[in-house]
Amino acid sequence: MPRIPVTSRRGLLFGAAAVSAGAALTACTSNEPKKAGTAATTAAAADDKPGTPVTIGFAGPQADHGWLNAINQNAKDRAAKYSEVTLEITEGSNDTAAQIGQIQTLINKKVDVLVILPADGKALTQVGLQAMKAGIPVINLDRVFASPQAYRCWIGGDNYGMGLNAGRYIGEQLKDKPDAKVVELAGIDNLELTRQRTQGFDDALKNYPNIKKVARQAAEFTVETGQAKMAQLLQAQKQFDALWNHDDDQGVGALRAIAQAGRDDFFMVGGAGSKSAMDAIKADNGVLKATVLYPPTMAASAIDLARALGQKKGVGGMSELEIPASITLYSAVVTKENVDEYLPTGFI
Amino acid sequence: MSGITKSFPGVRALDGVDLDVQAGEVHCLLGQNGAGKSTLIKVLAGAHQPDGGEITWRGEPVSLRSPIAAMRLGIATIYQELDLVEGLSVAENVFLGHEPTTAGFVVRGRDARREAAVLLRRLGHAEIDPARHVGDLSAAQQQIVSMARALSHDVRLIVMDEPSAALDPEETDNLLRIVGQLTADGVAVVYISHRLEEIRRVGDRVTVLKDGRAVANGLPAKSMPTREIVALMTGRDVEYVFPRRPAAPRSGDPVLRVEGLARDGEFAAVDLEVRPGEIVGLAGLVGSGRSEILETLYGARKPTAGRVTVDGRPLKPGSVRSAVRAGMGLAPEERKAQALLMLESVTRNVSVSTLTRFSRAGWLDRREERRAARESTRSLSLRPDNPDALVRTLSGGNQQKAVLARWLLRGCRVLLLDEPTRGVDVGARAELYAVIRRLADDGLAVLLVSSEVPEVLGLADRVLVLREGRVVHAAPATELDEHRVLDLVMEGSPSR
Amino acid sequence: MTQPASEAPQAPTPPAEAPPATKGGGRRPALGLHADVRNLSLLGVLAALVLVGGITQPDAFLDVSNLQLVLTQASVIGVVTVGMTFVITSGGIDLSVGAIVALASVWATTLATQEYGFTGILFTAVVVGVGCGLVNGVLIAYGGMVPFIATLAMLASARGLALYLTDGKTQIVTVNSVLDLGLPATYVLGIPPLVLVFAGVTVIGWLVLNRTTFGRRTVAVGGNAEAARLAGIDVRRQRLYLYLLSGLCCGIAAFMLIILSGSGQNTNGNLYELDAIAAAIIGGTLLSGGRGTIVGSVLGVLVFITIQNIFALNNLESAVQQIAKGAIIVAAVLVQRSTVRNGDG
Repeated sequence: MPRIPVTSRRGLLFGAAAVSAGAALTACTSNEPKKAGTAATTAAAADDKPGTPVTIGFAGPQADHGWLNAINQNAKDRAAKYSEVTLEITEGSNDTAAQIGQIQTLINKKVDVLVILPADGKALTQVGLQAMKAGIPVINLDRVFASPQAYRCWIGGDNYGMGLNAGRYIGEQLKDKPDAKVVELAGIDNLELTRQRTQGFDDALKNYPNIKKVARQAAEFTVETGQAKMAQLLQAQKQFDALWNHDDDQGVGALRAIAQAGRDDFFMVGGAGSKSAMDAIKADNGVLKATVLYPPTMAASAIDLARALGQKKGVGGMSELEIPASITLYSAVVTKENVDEYLPTGFI
Repeated sequence: MSGITKSFPGVRALDGVDLDVQAGEVHCLLGQNGAGKSTLIKVLAGAHQPDGGEITWRGEPVSLRSPIAAMRLGIATIYQELDLVEGLSVAENVFLGHEPTTAGFVVRGRDARREAAVLLRRLGHAEIDPARHVGDLSAAQQQIVSMARALSHDVRLIVMDEPSAALDPEETDNLLRIVGQLTADGVAVVYISHRLEEIRRVGDRVTVLKDGRAVANGLPAKSMPTREIVALMTGRDVEYVFPRRPAAPRSGDPVLRVEGLARDGEFAAVDLEVRPGEIVGLAGLVGSGRSEILETLYGARKPTAGRVTVDGRPLKPGSVRSAVRAGMGLAPEERKAQALLMLESVTRNVSVSTLTRFSRAGWLDRREERRAARESTRSLSLRPDNPDALVRTLSGGNQQKAVLARWLLRGCRVLLLDEPTRGVDVGARAELYAVIRRLADDGLAVLLVSSEVPEVLGLADRVLVLREGRVVHAAPATELDEHRVLDLVMEGSPSR
Repeated sequence: MTQPASEAPQAPTPPAEAPPATKGGGRRPALGLHADVRNLSLLGVLAALVLVGGITQPDAFLDVSNLQLVLTQASVIGVVTVGMTFVITSGGIDLSVGAIVALASVWATTLATQEYGFTGILFTAVVVGVGCGLVNGVLIAYGGMVPFIATLAMLASARGLALYLTDGKTQIVTVNSVLDLGLPATYVLGIPPLVLVFAGVTVIGWLVLNRTTFGRRTVAVGGNAEAARLAGIDVRRQRLYLYLLSGLCCGIAAFMLIILSGSGQNTNGNLYELDAIAAAIIGGTLLSGGRGTIVGSVLGVLVFITIQNIFALNNLESAVQQIAKGAIIVAAVLVQRSTVRNGDG
């Protein structure tokens, strides 16, 4: 379901050259754990006090863009917070065979818990099963394995929910406007996640009969294509009320195209939750008014879950003794009102 | 075969050739380069379609529309350049195109290897492993594979184009033994070779080709005196018209001086001098190193020893640009592949070596370029007199003039001509000869290479005879005749 | 096959006697007949596209802002295609153009580079482009590598280096003097600066290919490298210059892309190599070398961009766009072949 194929991850990368990545991420992960949507909803059962030592193996794909960088950074920072946790992190790889080899090495080292963000969920299912059979619980991060037997707990984002929440937000803003027009700038069209996002968006808009989606073009999660497709959309649609862009990264290009066309007759909602998008929302001086999250802080949560598993504890705030088998993160809508809460989680 | 005619653009390669070959005989084809041997066997192999004439096969008139049609009739051809696929195994090569198969497409590799081994044994080469890659075999072994391929068809006639060219004496002996065996089995062989002693050993009858005609048919191979064969090869119907030489030989310092030039495996210790106004000819067989010498002193190949000077200044070895800058120009043997830009106009072909003269800071003065190129082509009477004509539409002779015009425009001092009349119609040659002589009279030093002995003798002032990469004789052209030169270049044949 | 070679064996005619018969009629434009016919047929394709665009979207397609849009979108890949046309004309190929654009755009937008402002960014983009071209050129001309392999290696390395420099992050440009060049305020008589650069590169490219010794040597090397060498042309140096030129075009294109997208990203220039090659080929440049036309290449780029534009304006899916693009490539080449054959006849 919320499996993100390799190429899609580009969509989640975002950058602001002015601020260094490390600072922002440190700020994020060391934040007080009370704010909804951040990964800092720490387990209470497994509290911050040092417990029994736990060695966590972490295997992810090659960090070839900002979102995955943020994933790695979140995992490392969170692990560093606990003195009893040792993190064995592999060199990221997009090659299925290489990643299988790395995970097998971690299994042979007899780590206590594995956190795996597979380059390809289906292809790495076997090695997940192998780890579970060897008695090493697996936390499956974001891209889901083909079999639930291959992981103890899955945690990841919600693509359908992203679209749904973006649609709801736009719907609420435009519900009193007759014949409102909406435009969608999607990500790579041949990815399942793009279709899920669009499906959620369309389903949400069905609740608002006065709103019509008049155009949809697919960019490729890159700034260059975001600019090109947005420029064409703006040329095609001389007037509309709202724009949903699936991805804040191609959004950099989209915003550039909007500036180049000199348009300000609509408002725009982004996706994923990059730092620069949140900065723009906070400044409130352009068309970008909101963005829906797909938070990389899930890696920090995965480390928390792994630690709890390793220490045989549950998570706080739940009645059950065991941690859940699957956790789908909420795609919150970040607006000017709540942006300060989320700003530390914005990735570069 | 009777009355076979074949023309190529600008050239009549075969002019009513008759050839009859009987079962179980070795019929030898003799002739100088360009006499039409290759064209004739390509017609036999179905690779060329004759423009006229008739081919009769076992009493029936046939038409060989394609190499496959010829092969179906039982005619196999072993070309000079072996047409084997180096990346495939021996067995795969032998059965290429008619592999033993199951259900029409599954190749039965084991059967192919077994049958290939049988064929190789029959050829006396059981030591060649059918599973080996052809690329790993020696030239002689590849020859055997070619022959095995021919025999893998139900073959009645095998055509061999200079099969011994790449073989050493021992391998040649074996080859001749195989040829004898084949004929004993009733297979007919058409055998082409320059080496008279082979022809004498293995041949039954001889047909001599000359300028696309058969000048002698079915002569007894064993008993023909060498002199007579040479006379047949050289005697001509078309007399070339050569321009008159200047009365007195040129004196003065040589422009071009070559000292001890050598290239391993090609030629050694070549010394020569060419004076302004002089035409020096190099005569020799294919493989005697003629073209290689020319290309080496032009810098297109790197010599292993020796030096070349123009006006006393040594050239940088292996640098064409150094040679061109010193005033050398080459009209190479393969005009289309080595000299001409076939997609381009005459003007651009002529000006390509002189571009900087028509440019300022890289900017071309195209009017001046065109004018100068045209002046150059007109002085050579290039036809048509249209600077924009595409060079590929010109006849062979005019294409050659375009190349000469290039060097004339450049103002070159030393002109190297490699087979200047190759692919040029016989009628147009005389004009080209006149052009070359006039260029010499204007002060150019000309070094001429030709496989046609009369051309060298008729055009050059002095002649150097080459054999196996060495100058074996040097003399004024007037002191030599064709027989003498052929004797010199073929020396070593036991018949003499 | 047309000339039966019937020169009479006579003495050559002295030049003075030559009649000036074909003075007026014999002159033909430098592009030659083929190029003209091809360009005409491509113009036909373009006209047909404009017709389709005008009928399906009369308001959005036929207006000045759309013309600005199409030309702007064509400008980056257009500059790359001009360089590619030279390389292909010389019988080579440059598969690394997209990767060089990515690397140059990324290098020119690092925080350190941005501190040097406009000139720093422009300088870095051009130097990185030329540097990559230099490596390509040396490997091919003096290292004896096949262009396909050498530039394929450059493709991989430059993309890798671009990723290494960015960590996959988008580098946002904050230098206003660069950003402003993408905004309507800097349009000159309604022409975006990027389009002016594109036009300038096109004109210079055309002049260099058709009016200079460099262009002539390029065609000669592509038409017959051995003949060019034996005619005294320094073929290796020419090849080196050609890949330098392609690299230079990539550097310029990278700067233009920075202006257009306001950022540098390692995914920039994705598949530019294929678009540039396709545009040059449908424009009439021979893939085997020896014939090249800048005008045709630019028309080829405009055809591709116009297709994209029409499809986007009609809100069609990406999948349909790709199918149509493939079909139009085939159609354009087929139309050309038939017109050229007729024109040749």
